[in-house]
Amino acid sequence: MTLSVIEGVLLVFVLCCAIGAAVLRDVLASLMAFAAYSLGISIIWVMLEAPDVGLTEAAVGAGIMTILFILALANTVRPQENGLFESISVRTVVLVGAFVVVMTATVPSLPAVGAEGAANPVVSGEVTQYYIENAYADTEVHNAVTAVLAAYRGFDTLGEAVVVFSAGIAALTVLRQEVFA
Amino acid sequence: MSSDERTGLYVESTIIMTTVRVVSPFVLTFALFVMFHGANSPGGGFQGGVIAGSVVMMLAFAYGIDAAREWLDVRVVAALASGGVLTFAAIGLGTILLGGSFLEYHLYEQFISHATAYGIELVELGIGGIVASVAIGLFFLLAAGFGHAVDSPEDES
Repeated sequence: MTLSVIEGVLLVFVLCCAIGAAVLRDVLASLMAFAAYSLGISIIWVMLEAPDVGLTEAAVGAGIMTILFILALANTVRPQENGLFESISVRTVVLVGAFVVVMTATVPSLPAVGAEGAANPVVSGEVTQYYIENAYADTEVHNAVTAVLAAYRGFDTLGEAVVVFSAGIAALTVLRQEVFA
Repeated sequence: MSSDERTGLYVESTIIMTTVRVVSPFVLTFALFVMFHGANSPGGGFQGGVIAGSVVMMLAFAYGIDAAREWLDVRVVAALASGGVLTFAAIGLGTILLGGSFLEYHLYEQFISHATAYGIELVELGIGGIVASVAIGLFFLLAAGFGHAVDSPEDES
């Protein structure tokens, strides 16, 4: 698998942001690194031809989550710390490193991006092919993702919508408010 | 909580106010486009709802959270959230009443043509309403701070 220049730059950018979010001592700086990480990942999703996921990641990960985190931070006391980075214990590095090695070991078994036919069981799988072939005839929508979410797996989506609704209610209950505003 | 306690959160800036005034109609239009066009292009109710919610956050960012809180009718937010759930559930359960299974859109074909497409569109709008209102609600709740939860022990039951 060869990387284009943009993909390589994006991957390095995302990796640096992720490491920055983990090791920066200042919480606000760490938060900014996390938002930049989300934005980079969302562009990677688009390049992997998953624009729906990319749009969600950009809107939720880089947008709403950052705003909510900043608001939470504004309600707390930010200690003036010395030094740019957290002190990192060797044990943490070993543990995280082992996790990364284990996860990286699974990457070669993934199908290559854009591979077709038997080389890519995700695309050539029976379920995927069924959706691609029948989605428009069954549901009259061109976007197969929407067809799966709102029609084929509509009951799951209702559950998810109720989860979001309940999250709002839970926040109201925990913060002892009666209205959203 | 009085507004002067949180003056640090809001900085009045002509540049931000002008930018938000120019950009926010386009962002809201884009949000509605993503919501309505989710059937044919990337996006859908969830993404569109989040973008619509971010319009309110932009306004609060430019004009102050308290001003935005006063401007926004809480009944609209509550109606969007509960209306979204009810719309989705009603469309899903309506087909059961008509003798089909859950969300069997084409049973509405007897009332309206292209029932499946319109049904999915309504479901997406419902999801958009839920997501937008919960995002706005969480934003205002977090902005209000946690002080009142601790300050008012008489509320505890």
